Amino acid sequence: MAGLQLENVSKIYKEGDSQVIALNNVSMTVEPGQFVAIIGPSGSGKSTFLSIAGALLQASKGKVIIDGVNIANLSEKQLSQVRLNEIGFILQTSNLIPYLTVLDQLLVVKKMAGAVRAADKAFAKELLMELGLSSKLNKFPNELSGGERQRAAIARAFMNNSKIILADEPTASLDSNRAHEVVKLISKEVKARKKAAIMVTHDERMLEYCDRVYLIEDGVLIPLEDHSLHAVKQLRGK
Amino acid sequence: MFLALKELKKGKLRFTMIGLIIVLIAWLVFILSGLGNGLSTLSAASIKNMDADYVVYEKGSGSTFSKSLLSESLISDIEKQSNVEVVSPFGSAMGAILNEDGSGNEDKTDIAILGINPGTFLEPKVIEGKQLDQGNQLGVLANDGLKDQGYKIGDSLALDGSMEKLKIIGFVENETYNHLPALFTTMDKWRLYKFSAPGSNNGMEDAVNAFVLQGPNVNTETLDKEIKGIETVSKNKAIQGMPGYTAENGTIMMMLVFLIVISAFVIAVFFYVLTIQKTNQFGVMKAIGASNSFIANAIVSQVFLLSLIGILVGIALTYGTALILPEGMPFNLDVKLVVIYGVLLLLISVLSSLISVRKITKIDPLTALGRVE
Repeated sequence: MAGLQLENVSKIYKEGDSQVIALNNVSMTVEPGQFVAIIGPSGSGKSTFLSIAGALLQASKGKVIIDGVNIANLSEKQLSQVRLNEIGFILQTSNLIPYLTVLDQLLVVKKMAGAVRAADKAFAKELLMELGLSSKLNKFPNELSGGERQRAAIARAFMNNSKIILADEPTASLDSNRAHEVVKLISKEVKARKKAAIMVTHDERMLEYCDRVYLIEDGVLIPLEDHSLHAVKQLRGK
Repeated sequence: MFLALKELKKGKLRFTMIGLIIVLIAWLVFILSGLGNGLSTLSAASIKNMDADYVVYEKGSGSTFSKSLLSESLISDIEKQSNVEVVSPFGSAMGAILNEDGSGNEDKTDIAILGINPGTFLEPKVIEGKQLDQGNQLGVLANDGLKDQGYKIGDSLALDGSMEKLKIIGFVENETYNHLPALFTTMDKWRLYKFSAPGSNNGMEDAVNAFVLQGPNVNTETLDKEIKGIETVSKNKAIQGMPGYTAENGTIMMMLVFLIVISAFVIAVFFYVLTIQKTNQFGVMKAIGASNSFIANAIVSQVFLLSLIGILVGIALTYGTALILPEGMPFNLDVKLVVIYGVLLLLISVLSSLISVRKITKIDPLTALGRVE
């Protein structure tokens, strides 16, 4: 089955004699073309969730199935292959490589997998055009605005044509106009390219672009049926 | 290579400065090796030039020519031994000469007088003038360095502290002995000078310092057993036995070894710090799927490129320096040495970058998320 499934995933950290349960029996399925948001207070397990879904961290219990493959028992080397081929990461701003031009930021992903072909270059330019960066191909990250940097990061995440897109606070350092623009773009690309996408955010204004919203609190995943801002606030309030 | 080149291009200033450190280290290494080589040439070039395999000394002389005295009559005994192909007597003495060409120059010049039999394999080829001649006992071959002091073919030379006269009949190239320019003369003339004081030849009318042998398969132990009162050593051992040779070479070698060890640390630390600064970047790359070998490749190829360029510039600078060094400075760059030290430095930088690589393989890609819970 395509997309991303987490089945009864738990992550337990040992701290001396005591245990910290970062994720408690979490299950979730994201199908291609779906854009899911996860919100939650800091320390709730958002990052752990994203790390496990992104093959950065191994779960203590449960199954993580990426495009039909359970990654629970893979070696570190195999995990890096999974990240390279199956997952596109959109990280917080400033996580571009400072000495590469916008176009090279995308091509380096292909370099990691082997060689850059002419088709890859064309694909990279197409992606950058869709994200409105056609005129910035040869600019370095320090020559771009915050929004442009984040759009370049989005393009990079789509570059390996993976099935899954994971976004980690993609709007963290943007003003609200740019934030809307960036999340709208992610949503548009996810729909157009049929990706299974998860966005971790604390920015409740962005939830309107998502198909489903989950709340994580103390390691427990709670689906929010009505993901309006109002409902979230109510939930927080209780 | 892709990342390495891109980063070198973007961070020109930073990498120029690190490259400069490598240039300076390489420069110093090459200059030191040139000086060491120059000194050892000055010390023993005439012995090194000999197309010889072994040298026969008097027993107890510790492979030093000046401490060894043998009778030339031994030559027939040595020649009879198995595997000995050619034997030739050799004698050395120190002295000073005064040019009597009438120019009024009264500066004396220190020289080494080397006695050989004309026509033997010990006689170097002249680059100017005529070879030695047993019939012309006055004639000597002089090292061409003496030209700088105004000596020329046909000059009569007075030997300081002796009634003997000499005359330059030819010049030879790169012949120095015990740090002094060499004068090649006949064994007879050499004896007249060396043993002018009665009894200084230990009572041997036909004394020589040593015999030089050709014959790669000579067994030194058998030779020493067969003939009483001699010790036979390889040519290399004979060079080591030159006064001051081992001490000089040891000093330079120690400096070189220290320099290379220090440079290994300096280069390793530089690249380590550079790598640590980029921990976050490498974390990001790992998060988006870069394997350890991809990043290791980027680091090592960068260090390789930077070091290669630095070392090449260092070599160029060294040859430039050699042009402006003062005449009297014993500087002799051997291409073989330059290649050896160049490759050694390159190897050291690449190996030292492996420390950084080790660090990288331990970076957790989670750092890319910027907040590890």
